[in-house]
Amino acid sequence: MPDRGLRSPGMRDLGPEEMARFRALERVFLDVTAEGGYREIRTPSIEPLHLYSASGTLSPQALERVYSFLDWNGWSGERVVLRPDTTVAVARWYGDQPAGGVERLSYVQPSFRFAPEGEREVWQCGVELFGKANGSDAEVLTLAQRFLAAAGVEDLTVEVAHAGLARAAFAAAGLSTAQQLSAYDRMLEGDTSLTAELAETHPDGAAAVRLLADVDGASAGYVANLRAAMGSVIPGAESALADLEGAAQALDGVGVPYRILAGTARNFEYYTGITFRFRSGGTTVLSGGRYDRLAETLGGAPAPACGWAADILGLIEVAS
Amino acid sequence: MTAEVPSGGEAVRVALPRGDLRGPVDEHLRGVDFVVEGYGSGARTYTFGVEERPGIAVRVFSDADIPIQVALGNYDLGIASRTWVDELLVRHQLDSVVPLRQLDVPTAELVIAGGQGATLEALAQGVVRVATEYPNLAANYLANARVPDYRLFEVWAQAEAWPPQDAELAIAPRPAVEQEGLEVLGEVHLGGVWLIANRESLAKRDLSAALEPLLRMPRAAESRGIVRPAPLQVTARTRHAQAPAERETFRIAVPDGHAQRHTVAALADAGISFPGYEADSAARYPDSGREDVQVKVMRPQDMPRAVALGQVDLALTGRDWLRAFLATFPGAPVVELCDLKRSKYRLGAVVTEDLPVETIEEAIAYWRRDDPEKPIRVASEYVSLADEYARSRYLGRYQVIPISGASEGFVPADAEILIEGTETGTTLRANRLTMIDVIMESTNCAIGSAVRPDGKRGELRDDFVARMARAAEAAAVD
Repeated sequence: MPDRGLRSPGMRDLGPEEMARFRALERVFLDVTAEGGYREIRTPSIEPLHLYSASGTLSPQALERVYSFLDWNGWSGERVVLRPDTTVAVARWYGDQPAGGVERLSYVQPSFRFAPEGEREVWQCGVELFGKANGSDAEVLTLAQRFLAAAGVEDLTVEVAHAGLARAAFAAAGLSTAQQLSAYDRMLEGDTSLTAELAETHPDGAAAVRLLADVDGASAGYVANLRAAMGSVIPGAESALADLEGAAQALDGVGVPYRILAGTARNFEYYTGITFRFRSGGTTVLSGGRYDRLAETLGGAPAPACGWAADILGLIEVAS
Repeated sequence: MTAEVPSGGEAVRVALPRGDLRGPVDEHLRGVDFVVEGYGSGARTYTFGVEERPGIAVRVFSDADIPIQVALGNYDLGIASRTWVDELLVRHQLDSVVPLRQLDVPTAELVIAGGQGATLEALAQGVVRVATEYPNLAANYLANARVPDYRLFEVWAQAEAWPPQDAELAIAPRPAVEQEGLEVLGEVHLGGVWLIANRESLAKRDLSAALEPLLRMPRAAESRGIVRPAPLQVTARTRHAQAPAERETFRIAVPDGHAQRHTVAALADAGISFPGYEADSAARYPDSGREDVQVKVMRPQDMPRAVALGQVDLALTGRDWLRAFLATFPGAPVVELCDLKRSKYRLGAVVTEDLPVETIEEAIAYWRRDDPEKPIRVASEYVSLADEYARSRYLGRYQVIPISGASEGFVPADAEILIEGTETGTTLRANRLTMIDVIMESTNCAIGSAVRPDGKRGELRDDFVARMARAAEAAAVD
């Protein structure tokens, strides 16, 4: 497409052919998720910035990339944002409903984030499962697999991690909450000096951190090994290990190969449990996880929650 | 000695700061035989040449404008406060500005400060109001500190005058907040002065004639600039409803700066005087003579917001600033209460005299004659009015270039249009400029909330406005 300077950077048109493919994939998404009992929801494009700025929602790095501005009420000094993420908005909606209910929700809408290169408006389809504690990880993982299979995405693998596992290991090593977040980032960046540093300050937990940070697991056996290394020295790891086992069983059940990593998600502080991404070839096509504290962070009643989202246009490329 | 700054010519274009940095920067420049005659002594011209160094054109800007000019590529090199460079880069993540070297010029750091006894942790439990000239650095700091819910008041100057009454916190230079008696809660930016360059200029143009001497200027230890605060752990949403107790005191805001003389005269005509607020001096809180009336001196630009927020009952400002504010926030509850009929001037579109046209429409056609897609650059202190003007005159593709002073030199080299006020036109003529289109006639005026306050404050407002209106009427008849 010729660039005549008539389009804002990172924004694109979807012509009739692209829209036809978009609608076809959207149809698949809505059909598969509706079959699973998920009902569609839509949230505003403009949200108050403070919805995303509390600890436990977006990270400061992600906040630096939101489209924030002063709207008509901006004289009060309050900024608004173009929706940078749908999950937080859905959690807000859930908090407005009578407490304790189970909501299975799906959405198709864009998120807006600054990116130096590439798309700044990302059309996503995703699901949120609020209020269901047991078996919900397995439910959304299975749903993701069904959707991707129906969409014609082949050669799927899944990477699974657990936000609580690394945090428990770091907490046991004596790191403060802030230090845990920065250590988590370093670990995701593949910073190998981290393991050595922690081994020095916390020799008992060194084996567990090494197993977590330096070895990728590929079966339920890896979880068992983690349990052996962590069980006695890292309190609070047990529930995380049980979550991972549950996820591993669900993926075994649908026959998708998986790897267990120390972490998969960046820049979202809201994850509290498993995080995962589905990959096809070298590309991430769908990602999600568990965020049990999000509803509460936004002032609602505590509620277990998990879900995932996929970049529709990215998926169209992979699927074709 | 002056040199014309060619817009796309061969000269290496260097932007230097006005204000407090002028003295120390001039000294450094002389130390490396980069002599800009007249710069250090504060000559009123804006463009200079460099002695013995042909092919270098120097232009003087407000410190805050230099990073933007270098980012736009209007200037190849610039010397500016690092706070202003980072204020631009922290939000726009531009790679067009390359910091080359931190110079050995001491500057004050930016700090976050509140009233005595304030702590960020306690304040962050509720809605935090923060006044600052540096909204981007402030937003960055507050995001990293994980302050969940804040309101940023972007003020033109004197952010330190807002806490504790009109904001919980200010982000401002340390000496100013200390002088104001505020408690410093943390550092936000460590300051410093940078030599910066435009990336494309570095890549494509030979700047060595200027770069070589400028890089010999004494270097300072690189500081990390932006401070990342430790995150607060405020997770439970305990937002306090923002309903402060009904204020009993009637609050009046009076301006400092250019408008001060006119305002003192307008008040005197109405038989009102506030000891401490004189034609040539002003205390922060002049004496109102009454228990139930408080007078506060602030920038006229910041008054419409203070009124809209309900912090001030009556403010004496310029109609231009009211209109600029309402152009951005049409729904803000602030209105003009009476015209004080002083400080009269015209605000409009200013272009170079050399333009062979009579109207703005012809000017647009002239600028577009070669390249219909070329953006027309509109420079102004009044960003929202410039934007409104550009839309109302169908400028098509345009850029609004925010500036903070020294505006006369912008046209024609760095902008096609300047949105500017003029009393007599003398300054414009001296700079070979002309107002081609008048946007408004501005005088000073009293403004207040669109909703009249109840009770005593409402009565006091009526009384002040009536006295000032009568006096303005009488003075106009004379």
